[in-house]
Amino acid sequence: MRRQYATLALVFLVVFSVVASGCISGGGGEEKPTTIVIGVTDKVTDLDPANAYDFYTWEVLNNVMEGLVKYKPGTLEIEPALAENWEVNEDSTVWTFYLRKDLKFADGTPLTAKDVVRSIERVMTIQGDPSWLVTDFVDKVEAKDDYTVVFYLKQPTAYFLALLTTPPYFPVHPDYAPDQIQSDQTAGGAGPYKITKWVRDEELVLEANPNYYGEKPKTEKIIIKFYRDASTMRLALQNGEIDIAWRTLRPSDIDSLKKDGNFNVIEVPGGFIRYICLNTKNDPTSNVKVRQALAAAVDRPEIAQKVFMGTVEPLYSLVPNGMWSHKDVFKTAYGDGNIEKAKALLSEAGYSESNPLEIQLWYTPTHYGDTEADLAQILKEQWEKTGMIKVTIKSAEWGTYTDYARNGQMQVYLLGWYPDYLDPDDYTTPFLKSTANSWAGTGYSNPTMDDLLSQAQRLSDQNERTKLYEQVQDILAQDVPYIPLIQGKLFVVTQKNVKGVTIGPDMIFRYSTLYKE
Amino acid sequence: MARGLGQYIIIRALMIIPTILILYTLVFFFLRILPGNPVMAVVGTKNIPPEQLEHLMQMAGLDKPLYVQYFDYLKGVLHGDFGVTLAFPMGKPVWDYIAQRFPATLELALWAFTVSVLLGLLTGVIGATRKGTKTDTAMRVYSIIAYTLFIPWFGMMLQYLFGIHLHWLPTSGRLDPGVNLHTVTGLYVLDSIITGNWDALVSSVRHLILPALTLGIVLSGAYTRLVRNNMVDVLSQDFIRAYYARGVANRKVMWYALKNAFIPVVTLMGLQFAILLGGAVLTETTFSWPGMGTFLVDRIDYRDYNAIQGAVIFFAFFVGIISLIVDIVYALLDPRVKY
Repeated sequence: MRRQYATLALVFLVVFSVVASGCISGGGGEEKPTTIVIGVTDKVTDLDPANAYDFYTWEVLNNVMEGLVKYKPGTLEIEPALAENWEVNEDSTVWTFYLRKDLKFADGTPLTAKDVVRSIERVMTIQGDPSWLVTDFVDKVEAKDDYTVVFYLKQPTAYFLALLTTPPYFPVHPDYAPDQIQSDQTAGGAGPYKITKWVRDEELVLEANPNYYGEKPKTEKIIIKFYRDASTMRLALQNGEIDIAWRTLRPSDIDSLKKDGNFNVIEVPGGFIRYICLNTKNDPTSNVKVRQALAAAVDRPEIAQKVFMGTVEPLYSLVPNGMWSHKDVFKTAYGDGNIEKAKALLSEAGYSESNPLEIQLWYTPTHYGDTEADLAQILKEQWEKTGMIKVTIKSAEWGTYTDYARNGQMQVYLLGWYPDYLDPDDYTTPFLKSTANSWAGTGYSNPTMDDLLSQAQRLSDQNERTKLYEQVQDILAQDVPYIPLIQGKLFVVTQKNVKGVTIGPDMIFRYSTLYKE
Repeated sequence: MARGLGQYIIIRALMIIPTILILYTLVFFFLRILPGNPVMAVVGTKNIPPEQLEHLMQMAGLDKPLYVQYFDYLKGVLHGDFGVTLAFPMGKPVWDYIAQRFPATLELALWAFTVSVLLGLLTGVIGATRKGTKTDTAMRVYSIIAYTLFIPWFGMMLQYLFGIHLHWLPTSGRLDPGVNLHTVTGLYVLDSIITGNWDALVSSVRHLILPALTLGIVLSGAYTRLVRNNMVDVLSQDFIRAYYARGVANRKVMWYALKNAFIPVVTLMGLQFAILLGGAVLTETTFSWPGMGTFLVDRIDYRDYNAIQGAVIFFAFFVGIISLIVDIVYALLDPRVKY
C-alpha cells in the first residue's frame, strides 16, 4: 500500500520534471541575432494614426510609418523624410512640400501626394482623439501634382514642422478605410518596418520594410512583448526572455538592475513633466499668496531622491529643461523648501499656527506608476513643515480623477504631461491659455498671458518667440496656477550584447538602429 | 426518474437567467454611479477641445438616457451582441476580446484544476490511510499552508526559483517570442497538437507550468482536507470492514472507499471552478497571462462599461453552466439526491 502511493508521487514528480527539463533543452530561448525582443508594460491602443493618442502607440507608429519631415535621430533638429524639401510663404500660412520620387508603401504600392492628402483628410473626417492636431491648424490640403503637397493653414503657425512629425500627419496605406477608425489595421505606412504579426496585448512583430526609401534597419526583426506590470517584465529580462526592458520599469528596479552589473542601463532625458495643479477659482487656493506659499515650501531635490531614487530631475518651469526658452523661474522666485518664505506668505494670507491653512491633496494611485502615494506623502510632509498647513491626502481612480479635474472639483492635485509636439507652445498654451486649459480644471485665466501666448504662436522668429515664452514663464511663477515638480528621465535596460539604442528628445525609441553583437 | 432529472435540469438552467440579470443590473448601475467615464479615462489629461469631447461621448452612446443604455445593452446581449469597447480602442466588438482572452483563462484554469485535484487526491488519500501518523499531520499542515498561500507572493517565489535562479522555465506570457501558432480553439496546447506544431507545444507547456502550479497548489489544499476526512469516514464504515472480512484485496477496498469519498469532492470541484476563475485574475496578473482576468482589470481601470459588463455576463454564464453540470453529475453519482 505504502509503496503504491510512493510510486504515484514519484510518477507525478517524474512527469513534472521531464516536462520541465525536456523543455529546457527544447525551449531554446536563444534568438538569432537578427531578432531583438523588447518588453514593454505600455499598450498599443490603436494602430490607426487617426485615433491613436498615447505615447507608446505613437512610438510604434513612428517605426512603421513616417511623415513628410522627422527629427534627426537624437536631436531636436527637423530633417527631410518623405518630403525632400519644402517652402513656406512669408506669414507661414502656406506650406509646400516636395515628395521624394521613389516612395512606396511596405507592400510595394507607390506613395504619391494624393496619399498624403487622403490620409490627412481622413484624420479630419474621422475626428478621432488627436485630430485637433490637424483640424486646429489646417484649413485645407491639396495635391498639386504627384509629388507636391500644399497645406493652407488657418492662422500663421511657426511650429508647423513640429506638428508634421506627429502621427496624424503620417500618410497611411490605401487599405485604411477613408471614414472609419481601424484599430487593428496593420497595413502601416512608409516607415522602416512593417507589421507582420499582431496579437493584442501579447505580441507585435515588426520586420524590415523592403521598400523603405532610407537606410535599411540594422535588425531584421523586432518583437515587442507586452507585460502586465513592471515586476514581470523585470523577471523576463533577468531570465533572458527579452533583450530590452523599455517603458516602464520602477525606480527601484532601475536602481537594482544598475547594481546588478549584468545589464546596460541607458539613461536619456525625457520630455514628460509632473506638476501640481492648483484650483484658482475656489478657496483657499484662489488666494495667490496661498499658491505662492505652497510653491515655496516644495523641495524638489528631496522628491527626486526620496521618491524617484534619482530617476527624475527637478523642474522649475513648465517648459522642460533643455528646451529653448526654458527658464528656472520657480527656483529664482522661491528656491527649494523655503519654509521661511512660505510662512511669511501664509501670514500675509491670514494664516497662522493656531489658524492653519487646510487643504486636500489628491493623487491617482496607478496611472503614474506606484510611486504616486509616496509623492503625495512627501508633499504633505514638506508643506506641514511650515507648521501652518494641514494636508489631507485623497485619491481616486483615473477615470474618476480626470472627471474631477475637468470639473474643477479638486483643490490641489497631481498631474503629468507628455508632449504632443516639441515646442514650448505645447508646454504653455494648453496649461495657461484660458481658452485651452479646461482639461486641467485650474480655472486659470489672465488676459496678458493669453495675449503673449497668441503672439508667440504667430511669430516665426525663434529669438522673438523666446522672449515671449520667458515672459510667460515669469508670469507663471507669479500667478502659480501650477507648481512644476520634476521632469522624467527615460531608462532603457538591455542585455549586454544589445547596441545602438537611440532615443531623441521626442522620446521616441527608433528600433532601426538597434543591433546585437 | 428520467422525467424528474429532465425537469431538474431545466429548472436549474432557467435559474441562471435571473442570476445573470441581477448581476448585470448591479454592474451596470454601479459603474455609472461612480464619477467619470471611459471617454474621460481615455482622453485623460490630453488637451482636447470640449466640442470634440462631446462628439466622443456621442460616438460612445453615453449621451443617451441611462434606461435607454440599460435596455439597449440588454437587448444586444440577448442577440449575442456584447457591444463595442468604449475605451481604447473605441468601437471594437467586446466579443472579439472575450473570444481571444477567454481560451487563455480556460486553458490556465483547466491545468490548474488538474494540478489541484491530483495533488488534493494524492495528499488526501495519503493522509487518510496513515491517519494519526506524522505523515497525516504533514498532509494536514500542507493543506492549511496551501490554502492560505497568497497567489502573487507564491507565484513570484516560483518565478524566482524556476525562472531567475534555475533558468528552467519562462516567467510570463503564453508563448516564446516569435513562436508562431495557428489558433483553432485558442487553447495553445491543444492547438499545437492539432496543427502538429511541436515548437509551439513545448513553448506553451513550459509557459503553463508555473502559473498552473501556483494556482493548482493553492487550490489543492481544500481537496486534501475534504478527501482525507471523507476517506477516514468511509474507511470506518461497516461495508469496508465487510470487504476486508471477505478478503478483498487492499487496493480494491481503497478504490471503493475513494469512490464513495468522491461524491462531496465533485461538489467542491464545481465550487472550486468558480473560485479558480477568481484566482485566475491574480495568477494572470502575476504571470502577465493574457486572459480574462487581466482584461477585466485593465478595463476597470479605463471604465470601459461595455467591456466590463460583457466580461461579467460571460463569466457569470460560464460559472452558471459549470455549476449546472456539477449538479447534474452529482445527481447522477448519488442516487439519494432528489430533484
